[in-house]
Amino acid sequence: MTVNRLIFRNIKKNFKHYYVYIFALVFSVALYFSFMTLQFDPALDDTTGGVKGAAAIKTGSVLLIFIVSVFLVYANNLFIKRRSKEIGLFQLIGMTKGTVFHILSVENLVLYVGSLIVGIFLGFSMSRLLMMILFKVTGIQDVATLRFSSEAFVQTLVVFAAIYILILLMNAVFIRRQSILSLFRVATVTQQRLKKMTALQAILGVFGIGLILFGYYLSSQLFSGMFLGNQFFVVMIAILASVIIGTYLFYKGSVSFIFNIIRKRKNGYLNVNDVLSLSSIMFRMKSNSLLLMIITTLSALSIALLSLSYISYYSVEKMVEKNIPADFSILTEHGAEFVQALEKEGIANSYETIDLLNFQVDLSEVLSMSAEEGNSLFSFADTTMLVISDQVVEQLDVAETEVYLANQSDFLNNLMHIQEQGMIVFTGEEYVYKLAYKGMEDLTVLPARATGAFPVAIVDQSIYQQMLADKDVELSTEFSQYTGVTITNREDIERADTIFHALDIDIWAGNESKYEEKMIQKQGIGVIMFIVGFLGLAFLITSGCILYFKQMDESEDEKANYTILRKLGYTQTDLLKGVQHKQLFNFGIPLVVGLCHSYFAVKSGWFLFGTEMLTPMLIVMAIYTALYSIFGMLSVLNYKRVIKEAL
Amino acid sequence: MVILQATKIYKTYGNKLNKTEVLSALDLEVNKGEFVSIMGASGSGKTTLLNVLSSIDRVSQGTISIEGQNINAMKEKQMAEFRKRHLGFIFQDYNLLDTLTVKENILLPLSVQKVAKKRANEMFHAVSEDLGIADIADKYPNEISGGQKQRTSAARAFIHDPSIIFADEPTGALDSKAASDLLNKLSDLNTKRNASIVMVTHDPLAASFSERVVFIKDGQIYTQLYKGEQTRTEFFNDIIKTQGVLGGVQHDS
Ligand SMILES: Nc1ncnc2c1ncn2[C@@H]1O[C@H](COP(=O)(O)OP(=O)(O)OP(=O)(O)O)[C@@H](O)[C@H]1O
Ligand SMILES: [Mg+2]
Repeated sequence: MTVNRLIFRNIKKNFKHYYVYIFALVFSVALYFSFMTLQFDPALDDTTGGVKGAAAIKTGSVLLIFIVSVFLVYANNLFIKRRSKEIGLFQLIGMTKGTVFHILSVENLVLYVGSLIVGIFLGFSMSRLLMMILFKVTGIQDVATLRFSSEAFVQTLVVFAAIYILILLMNAVFIRRQSILSLFRVATVTQQRLKKMTALQAILGVFGIGLILFGYYLSSQLFSGMFLGNQFFVVMIAILASVIIGTYLFYKGSVSFIFNIIRKRKNGYLNVNDVLSLSSIMFRMKSNSLLLMIITTLSALSIALLSLSYISYYSVEKMVEKNIPADFSILTEHGAEFVQALEKEGIANSYETIDLLNFQVDLSEVLSMSAEEGNSLFSFADTTMLVISDQVVEQLDVAETEVYLANQSDFLNNLMHIQEQGMIVFTGEEYVYKLAYKGMEDLTVLPARATGAFPVAIVDQSIYQQMLADKDVELSTEFSQYTGVTITNREDIERADTIFHALDIDIWAGNESKYEEKMIQKQGIGVIMFIVGFLGLAFLITSGCILYFKQMDESEDEKANYTILRKLGYTQTDLLKGVQHKQLFNFGIPLVVGLCHSYFAVKSGWFLFGTEMLTPMLIVMAIYTALYSIFGMLSVLNYKRVIKEAL
Repeated sequence: MVILQATKIYKTYGNKLNKTEVLSALDLEVNKGEFVSIMGASGSGKTTLLNVLSSIDRVSQGTISIEGQNINAMKEKQMAEFRKRHLGFIFQDYNLLDTLTVKENILLPLSVQKVAKKRANEMFHAVSEDLGIADIADKYPNEISGGQKQRTSAARAFIHDPSIIFADEPTGALDSKAASDLLNKLSDLNTKRNASIVMVTHDPLAASFSERVVFIKDGQIYTQLYKGEQTRTEFFNDIIKTQGVLGGVQHDS
């Protein structure tokens, strides 16, 4: 029999082992190709809205290559392990390592080419669906038509050729390193000795937990103003490193250590649950801890990314609402002109005009930076802020000796401390106004454009008049007047917006239409959310598949064990219970730790993305957990089948 | 008292087109406290017989009852429960769990019966001393020899004092000293605890420890030898003679 015939026969005979591997290949190709098709599609240019979207897609594609490589390398490892006996046999009957390597390479080539063809076909159909989803989230009305992109095709070929070579190299190393004997024993080698459990392991475990906590602590300090400029980047890397390494040590140390203590205490007296979960997990602890770390990191990363992007999407309305209080915000003298135009068109509206009074102020008793040493360029004792009269704020009646603050922003809230009470001191040309601070009102009176995201002071009308007369003319502001126009009927908004543009009011800096702003924001964030969502889903599916494959592999390895246990008189139900425990561990632990990691990651910087953390984060976590559990359940089903077939 | 009764059992493997009949109309009775050996050529269906007798496999036809209960009629769960509590197995291919240490493998049947841990430990010490595997208690199966595996498998079969023990070539991988230790242990259990033993073996010496030897050929019982009042040596010679007549494999161990 020639080598080529042998190869062909092998593929035919081992098809069962191959199908997982082929699935991994086809899935990866389809994923990558569909993403690439989107990237190169001209229709996407409209939606991405320029550089930012394009950069997001670029970053996404790099991440995707990374995920796909990890996935395929893992699938290949399982694949070659499953066949280690066969490889050993080839060598036993006198084939050289070179020939075996040749056989594997050609086999892989056949698989790769086949999967590429199928995957590209699937990916092409998938990208059409993706395009429709993309249009949906960005609110663009367009028909999703697609052309076959040759750029995407070439790019996919290049990437998978590179991965193919990577995998060949790994196979070469594997074959080189293994002796025939070890090939026969690959499946049954214990990865962890029961006796060799030392204090070192406990220390490692504690150290790992320490590292994780340290990472969490750093992340909570990340935006507290403690770190500036370059430090910022370094700290971010430090957080990532300490959490990832900590997680690994946690699994390797703590988990093994705890398991070991439990097992030692059992003193050999294990029930069937222990046999199927505890001892089976420990048997593979070495490969488990690495795998669990990878899965945890992937999950944490994707939950965090998904949460952050969903937070932005979720917050767009609120954010715009916060930044632009009225439907149209006009900071130039075109307010009256616009209102007139609206009247002429018969669009009912109400408007208010506020003179912007900028005043020297000492806020140090009330506001301070979160961190001890703030930015030296800025001091709360010597700054300026806008002052308005309580007359323009309906809900509020301020006494003469008092002052309220309004226009708080989440962004600032996270950077500064607000005291319960204190004095705020305004200094005019001639007088000093010492007013008692009464509280921060949850109101947005002026657009963020006018205030620079800084709070606004609200004082009594009489005080306001005095201050107006006493104002420091040197302290002129960019804008002197604000006109906020509110359209009475929602359905007139679009027409009003057209007028706003027709009168060229929008070309003046500072003038904003809330309607238009929301559209723009949604589009920008929509694309980013789509990409992050795509990646998140890819991460999810990949990590789910990796776990599932791993469990499938273990179930094959342990099939003999189930046979024995069933011969000894354990029922299928007994065994299934034990296996469920194991699944709870294998799928549950990385999920819980991953959720925990992502919670801290989101918490550290969510306010840069939006105005609402908990709800969108919880929604994302719930959906992620649900989708992820599907893989756990599939795995249990697979075990059920294997157990059933075992006797 | 008959503890195990098989009447007219058939066992066929394969599908309609490609059928092999391994057991055909075989009858067998085992009394309580009896030590029976089963001999026969390789491939004659000894393991198959043991499997169906012990409810691990189902017969194609015929009935098997243990302690008066027809096991064909039992639900899978009942059958499993029965195996767990009343039967002990020494398998031809050891059947140890790779993921467990020797000690954990041996203690497995006890955890079902909720034996106190201290008591379990004592039982383990007794049985592992008897079989000479005390010093490998913490090793994994892939770190011990074939004979040690076999003794581990035997220890697991004995530890919970089963009422019937099925042993498939329990001495195949043992040297003569270890083999007779194991056989003495089996005889002990048989006499002291009145456990019934059904043992498959190729070794006439091993068979001579039992009270009755059943020879199988062509899926049926060819003949049976009773030890009766004979000494072990006389019985041993008898067995060898019968094996010669049977013309199958000569004693090959
Ligand atoms: N699962 C099976 N499927 C098909 N045929 C089987 C199966 N198990 C056993 N056989 C066949 O049944 C016959 C009896 O097998 P069995 O294992 O009972 O022999 P044995 O007497 O135990 O032999 P040995 O002394 O070699 O262990 C053999 O011919 C074998 O090929
Ligand atoms: Mg046999």
